[in-house]
Amino acid sequence: MNFLRSPRVWLWIAAAIVVVNGFFPAVWILFTSLKSEGELTRLPITYWPAQATLQNYLQAFHEQPLARYFFNSVVVGVFSTLLCVGVASLAAYALARLHLPQRGLILSVLVGVSMFPVASLMVPLYQTFNELGLRNNYLALILPYSALSLPVATLTLVSFFSGIPRDLESAAMIDGSTRIGALWRVVMPLAAPGVFTAAILAFVNSWDEFLLASTLLPAKVMRTLPVGIQLYQGEYSFPWPLISAALVVALVPVALIIALFQERVVGGLTQGGVKG
Amino acid sequence: MNKPAPKYRRSFGDLSERALGFWLLLPAALLLGLIALYPVLRLVYTSFFHLRLSEGPQATFVGFANYVQVFADERFWGAFWNTVKIVVITVPGALVVGLLLALVANLPFRIKWPVRLGLLLPWALPLIFVGLIFQWFFDSQYGIVNDLLMRLGLPREYWLIQPTLAFWAICLTLIWKTSSFVALILLAGLQVIPTELYEAAEVDGASRWQGFWRVTLPLLTPAILVALIFRTITAFQTFDIPYAMTRGGPGNSTETLAMYIRTESIDNLDVGYGSALAVVLFVVSLVITIIYLHYVRGGDE
Amino acid sequence: MKKLVWLMAGVLAASLGMAQQTKLRVFVGGQQRPDVLRKILDIYEKRNPGVKVDIEVGGATSDQQQQYLTTVLASRDPSIDVILIDVIRPAQYAAAKWADTLDKYLPGISKVALLKQYLPAYAEADQIGGQLWALPSFADAQFLYYRKDLLEKYGLKPPKTWDELVKETQTILAGEKNPNLNGLGYIGAKAEGTVCTFLLPVWAAGGDVADTNGKLTLTEAQAQNALQFWLDTMDKYKISPPNMAEKAQDVVRQEMQQGRWVFGTLFGYAWARFQNDADSQVKGKIGVVPLPEFAGGRSATCLGGWQWTISNFSRDKAQAYKLVRFLSSAEVSKILAIDASNLPVLPSVYKDPDVLKANPWFADALPVVLTARARPVSARYPEISDAIVSNTNAVLARTKTPEQAAKDILAKLQQIYAGK
Repeated sequence: MNFLRSPRVWLWIAAAIVVVNGFFPAVWILFTSLKSEGELTRLPITYWPAQATLQNYLQAFHEQPLARYFFNSVVVGVFSTLLCVGVASLAAYALARLHLPQRGLILSVLVGVSMFPVASLMVPLYQTFNELGLRNNYLALILPYSALSLPVATLTLVSFFSGIPRDLESAAMIDGSTRIGALWRVVMPLAAPGVFTAAILAFVNSWDEFLLASTLLPAKVMRTLPVGIQLYQGEYSFPWPLISAALVVALVPVALIIALFQERVVGGLTQGGVKG
Repeated sequence: MNKPAPKYRRSFGDLSERALGFWLLLPAALLLGLIALYPVLRLVYTSFFHLRLSEGPQATFVGFANYVQVFADERFWGAFWNTVKIVVITVPGALVVGLLLALVANLPFRIKWPVRLGLLLPWALPLIFVGLIFQWFFDSQYGIVNDLLMRLGLPREYWLIQPTLAFWAICLTLIWKTSSFVALILLAGLQVIPTELYEAAEVDGASRWQGFWRVTLPLLTPAILVALIFRTITAFQTFDIPYAMTRGGPGNSTETLAMYIRTESIDNLDVGYGSALAVVLFVVSLVITIIYLHYVRGGDE
Repeated sequence: MKKLVWLMAGVLAASLGMAQQTKLRVFVGGQQRPDVLRKILDIYEKRNPGVKVDIEVGGATSDQQQQYLTTVLASRDPSIDVILIDVIRPAQYAAAKWADTLDKYLPGISKVALLKQYLPAYAEADQIGGQLWALPSFADAQFLYYRKDLLEKYGLKPPKTWDELVKETQTILAGEKNPNLNGLGYIGAKAEGTVCTFLLPVWAAGGDVADTNGKLTLTEAQAQNALQFWLDTMDKYKISPPNMAEKAQDVVRQEMQQGRWVFGTLFGYAWARFQNDADSQVKGKIGVVPLPEFAGGRSATCLGGWQWTISNFSRDKAQAYKLVRFLSSAEVSKILAIDASNLPVLPSVYKDPDVLKANPWFADALPVVLTARARPVSARYPEISDAIVSNTNAVLARTKTPEQAAKDILAKLQQIYAGK
């Protein structure tokens, strides 16, 4: 077990494995986006593009209003995440802190609703939003997305809120804070990694969802990225280089922002919270 | 953690604990009610009708006939066992891999973002595209898996057209994709474990390994349970990845329950039977989750 | 009292409707060139003052559109008036009462006269129980694409029978000695196109799934022979690589474009890619001929294409009908042929000089599309397709013998055709 004594080396190896494991399909997509379609069926297969081209990116923006799709996805993603995490925090606080007699039942119902395959619920969902006149309205996705991520967000937060010592909260309340004030000022910052994880889960769920988006927001100006990206297909053809270019556009900014945000903001909050 | 009811209960105006609970839970109830209540009720209702649009739009009440048909349906059982196998393999698989990923990501690197991004990327890639990318990876001619194996002198394998290999290819892909989800939740759990606890353990002379078992794992249990519950539920609903990779082939050998439900309700327009299948899927995942929740509540007390 | 209010509201709405515009919405897939359709609708709007038509663009594949339309139509949503559907779907739309029959607007004699103008297979595909449910927009079919240069090099003529095809391919492969050159490419993946793969040898031997009365005629022997033929291409004749169960249509197309197949059974879209793609290695080297037959059989190919149908939930079906007639006219077929390179649905348009100038290969395409046959016309077609596809794919993957797969296909088809 002597090798464990030189942790630096192992640290780097472990880090490298995580990075390679996470990055390789994304890097593959990046390389593919620089290839021409003919290169994909060449044998032996190529990794690095034989003749790198940015043509696919130009074409991706030319064929579809990719920027508009991006904007739609951001609007839906941000608002559904805020709504979801907001509602989930309140519910999670009640479930973690209050002595509710039907706590088990509430948890079961909460988790239970996520057990129906969304595809089986499409017709009534469509009818509901049609009746409400919300088709092709951002709300038609913001509401279901926040609802769909609500169970996982709530349970994640419950597990974090339960871990925070009650004393800190009582201290704040003795200082004259209300319960909601204490939730906002004491519990949320302390549970920042949990809150942030719930937010990532909700945001990514929304960012990737296809079925609801294609059904409830079908108009061209309302399409989200997953719906728009599928439109690069033909009936028979799946132009990987073009679709890869669109995927890179969809993925890179989001991944970078989340990673940086996690490092700067959440890191800061946790440390501040623990010290305070 | 079993404390007497806190003294500050009365400090929130006149609200009793239950009334406060009501108001805090109300938004969640409204949101879920709007989205899920009518669709779920309607799904259950439809499952008691013979409604095959290929025979016309009229529905006939048939009681439990659809459910009886489910249990006599060979293809249902094929899809059911495939789904169960996927749950049994990929849920623990994703948990172990996800835990390892989270532990690594929680190590004190000076620059954290490459590792964090590596953790996040599999989750951020849309499911359907993950399926298509891995279909390509496992392609017998153009896939990198065979390319790498053959560079090592191993023979070409036909991953996606041999039932056993196809099944494992799907499981590997699922584990790759979903370990990221698990790792995200567990990493957050690790971040709130105060470092002092480790220091205390080390002062006690505990090895790292013991520290992991004595400190990390117990404190991580709530997060693990959350990850486990949702990973299990989504594993029961596995659709996109096998759909993209094999469409359930060769034959129907890698078909999952969610794929079969789609075939019946969307392709064949057998709405009544498709609804019954969806309800069965719900009941199966419910039973499993109740068992988990039992532990969540147990762990609490 | 309530009734009276409704009546008054109705009268008011009707009188307003007179003065107001008729608004129609057509649904097409993302792959159907909405830009060209817009141009066509502009012509229609100009000729019919007071009618405005807008386009809703759905997903880019038949599957995705089906998913969406199932939801919209099962919700009885009136927002779409005219729908462009895959040739395999009219029977389903008719049975589910999602479409309205065109017979209401089209007296019997003129219907017969109208259908005579189209490619013969569409009369079969669009009529269910003697009623017309859709009219074709543009055609498609599988062609036998072949390498003119290679056949010439070995002094061979395009094959008329499958046996000739096998021999010619073996000759060329033996002569070329190129490990990257394959013989016969076809669709084998678990996808809709594999139905056509199964049907080609069945038809070529003179069989079919059902007769014109909708009675099942396929025999186990016919099914088994067809499956055995495809298995033999890999294992016995060695003219196809062993992984055909993996091959989606577009992979074969891309490989053929790289010069790696001698023959390929692909739909019409491949032609334009072979000729026009910048990276095509086979420009000017590809020819098309009708599909081969077996001795004593017939040459037949698989019909594709897209059909216009009227939504049963449309609020203005008479106007929708008028629009459908325009969209399925020779005039529009010509525009689609020139601007979108879509195969025309009327034989007359194939001979139009402007069309031939834009697409010279349509001259060769016409004899092929004339042999096109429809896949089984049934409200339960998706189940038929599923049975055929999964069993054919299983044979190609060698997880089932042709004998067993033929039994399983027949068992399922008998159940479907017996209405169980």
